[in-house]
Amino acid sequence: MPAIASANLPADARRAPSARRFGLQGVVLGLAVALLLFLVGYPLLWLFLGALGVPQSFGLEHVQRAFTRPQNYAALVNTLQLALGTGIMSIFIGVPLAWATARTDMPLRQVVHALVALSYIMPPYLTALAYIFLLGPDAGHFNRLLQGAFGFESGPLNIFSMPGVIFVIGIHVFAFTYFLTHSALKSVDASLEESAQMLGARRWQTALRINLPLVAPAVTGGALLAAIDSLALFGPQAIIGTPAQITFLPTRIYATIGSYPPRWAEASALSLLLVVLTVAGLAVQRGYLERRSYVTVGGRGVRTQIIDLGAWRWPLLAFCLIVVFFSAVAPIGVLTLNAFSKSWTDPLSLSNLTLTHFNAALFQDQVAVRGILNSLKLATAAATIAVVIGAAVAYLDLRTNVRGRRILDYLAILPLGLPGTVMAVGILLAFIRLPIPIYGTLWILLAAYVARFIPLATRSANATFRQIDPSLEEAGRITGASWLHAIRRILMPLSRPGLLVAFLLVFIPAFGELSATILLYTGGTETIAIAIYRLNDLGQLEVVSALAVFTIVVVLTLAALVNWLSGSSWTSVETPAVRG
Amino acid sequence: MWIARRSVLKGLAAGGTVTLIGPGAWAQAAGPAEAGQIDIAKAKAEGKLVLYTSLDTQIVDAINAEFTKRYGIEVQYFRGGSSDVTSKVLAEADAGRPQADMVDASDLAALLLMKERGLLKPFKSPAMDAVAKELRDPDGTWITDRLTQAVIQFNTKEFGSTPPSTWADLGKAAGRLVYFSSPYGDGAPRLYTLAKHLGWDLLKVLAATKPLRVQTPQVMAQVLERGERGAGFLQNDNIAWRSKLQGKPTDYVFPAVGVPTEIGACGLLKSSTRPHAAALYYEWWMGAEGQAILVKGGKYSSRTDVAPPEGSTPLSKLKLLTLDYAEYGKNKVKILDQMASTFGGEWGN
Repeated sequence: MPAIASANLPADARRAPSARRFGLQGVVLGLAVALLLFLVGYPLLWLFLGALGVPQSFGLEHVQRAFTRPQNYAALVNTLQLALGTGIMSIFIGVPLAWATARTDMPLRQVVHALVALSYIMPPYLTALAYIFLLGPDAGHFNRLLQGAFGFESGPLNIFSMPGVIFVIGIHVFAFTYFLTHSALKSVDASLEESAQMLGARRWQTALRINLPLVAPAVTGGALLAAIDSLALFGPQAIIGTPAQITFLPTRIYATIGSYPPRWAEASALSLLLVVLTVAGLAVQRGYLERRSYVTVGGRGVRTQIIDLGAWRWPLLAFCLIVVFFSAVAPIGVLTLNAFSKSWTDPLSLSNLTLTHFNAALFQDQVAVRGILNSLKLATAAATIAVVIGAAVAYLDLRTNVRGRRILDYLAILPLGLPGTVMAVGILLAFIRLPIPIYGTLWILLAAYVARFIPLATRSANATFRQIDPSLEEAGRITGASWLHAIRRILMPLSRPGLLVAFLLVFIPAFGELSATILLYTGGTETIAIAIYRLNDLGQLEVVSALAVFTIVVVLTLAALVNWLSGSSWTSVETPAVRG
Repeated sequence: MWIARRSVLKGLAAGGTVTLIGPGAWAQAAGPAEAGQIDIAKAKAEGKLVLYTSLDTQIVDAINAEFTKRYGIEVQYFRGGSSDVTSKVLAEADAGRPQADMVDASDLAALLLMKERGLLKPFKSPAMDAVAKELRDPDGTWITDRLTQAVIQFNTKEFGSTPPSTWADLGKAAGRLVYFSSPYGDGAPRLYTLAKHLGWDLLKVLAATKPLRVQTPQVMAQVLERGERGAGFLQNDNIAWRSKLQGKPTDYVFPAVGVPTEIGACGLLKSSTRPHAAALYYEWWMGAEGQAILVKGGKYSSRTDVAPPEGSTPLSKLKLLTLDYAEYGKNKVKILDQMASTFGGEWGN
């Protein structure tokens, strides 16, 4: 009896497949499951053990010490402030933009939408770097403009401050609120608004009293996701926060491991704290959204009404353009400008243009060249493995009725809620003692990337397989094809575009990953993000810009490819990737 | 059934490819114990070596270029702050996957810790004759390669007419100072030296001016060159020297009241799988020629037979404030706590 996911068959008709048929299928699926447990479950286990002091000792005194030290307490307070600040900021920016692009007739809606997606795809540490060039206290371009215009002596705006960190992270994570609100707004049935208008409500009254309450769960859900993501973004926290003398939990974890001798127990305890914050936030978000969703589920029956703004569309457009200017255009622009400038602090002029930095970044600097090659290798390998595992998990979930596949699904989704720093600490603890010596090689980075980005591949593969009717494979099996044959000749060709999207969805964040890599790399296994981070420390800002431009070009090209392959806009992606 | 067996084998093969048995970790050659035992042919056969260093990359690149030209052996290096370098060496040793063949850090306490953990290899080099006894390990596990003095570097447009002559002078420049330390407290040893010899109140005075903190000496020089800040305390003498040489609007002084001196030391790692290449490089690094390249980059060599950098005051004419590295290593966490409470921010404590 072929193993068929039988939503239609009565329970007693489902029989356990015979052992012989399950041979190859079992091995492939079993291998994928084993890898998943190994890469995700095992490091998490070690995180708990590490916090208890294993293997040197066993007890709660490390946890106690970790939480009573003033540095850690300050880091916790700052992290919570950051989350609150970015969450609120994302509402103030994301909601108006979402409303403008989803429900009004504002011109350039597509452009604004694309630029918001762009501000999200760009690695957040590159945005942070760009803002050092723009809002550095004295030499920043915007500050120079303000000094020239208003005669300030030193730049009025200083990016190296808590508001600066909130701003830089906020313009990256507001995309969560934007996309969730956008989807929700598009699903509101027009008849509700029409009723209000028939009863005499003005446009703004309709917006405030009808639309907003209906999408409130999406708005708060998005803000929560934005806040949770901001907790994990090591890159901006380190690049802007550390010079500003502000510590956050991820930077504290980095410091406890990076200073010698490494303090594993304290790092594990702080990591668990970060996990608790993240999981708590996610639980609230899921509970809130799922229980109180007032939005009528989008589908064939919903008409959405485009609101005619009249003259109000121009101020709204101005607001939207200002937001996307600061979140996408300005950062990419200044990085490109710097990459081509002889010295970034000199004024713009034709004589200041040069290609030497690209030459250094792409061909000469040892660390940069190694970084590019390693990133390409790692991203390709990680995406391939993640897609294989993700496809296996999705297949188990949708096409079989193996017991425990729900738990497997949760395990595969779990890393989505874990900051990269936390995964790296778990992987370090787990694999530093393993008889398999992968620490210090590219393999440990590969393990970290696969573990971090499996959820993206799993969700994508799941969505892909869901769209393919199982009866096609069943037809093949009934007419005599083996399991492998049915997979190869029926499922794979149909799901190829979707799996390619899954591949790219993993490749893009893996290519620019920083927060896990910074804890796991050694000499020889640097990635592009590490090269950028290190060169920034040494003040070689023009070469850093050149590397940044290269990264952005790669990421943008692949994102455009994803867009083209999936044939729809970015709003179709269920949950945006967790980055850092 | 035959499918099942073959598929199991395939599964095993798939799992087996994940297992990497690093040949390096197991094949530890004995290697030369003194300079006379270095076999250049073997070194060339080893082909490359891996160096972990905290030295300025421009100087390292110059040294490596000459070495590769002379012997044809490639040098792959990892450059980080001294804490970075040390923590990586220690972590790799813990994990049984050592990567480096030679380590060089501007924090002697780090090398003392490595020696304590048995990671360094005793090696008798003729360079030991040219280096003072207190600057090297009698067993030959580590040797000082450079001495870094911590100076006051200032922007000449701002302080050119009234240059600061002593540390306390800087206390008057509120909001115009800059200093460096990585998040792991790499800047702490020299701050502690200053505090130990001249009093903690001096540090409190400096902290009260709300100095800008940057990650590395290189960035500090850039901040001063741009005029973003007017003066920096405890800057590396070679970085200040280089700025001035390049015609940037900066200058530097060695305060007469005392200049903290930092010992940079290097050593070979016992776990190295390329012992001949590593020893050859070590000899090059510590030899008169390699040290001359170091001096050309503005550093003071530890060798008594090598002249100081061009235009620099010889060390004998300076009042050097030294640090007891063994004591620093023992009390490191307490010292970093004090730094954090004086200056704020992350010190890796």
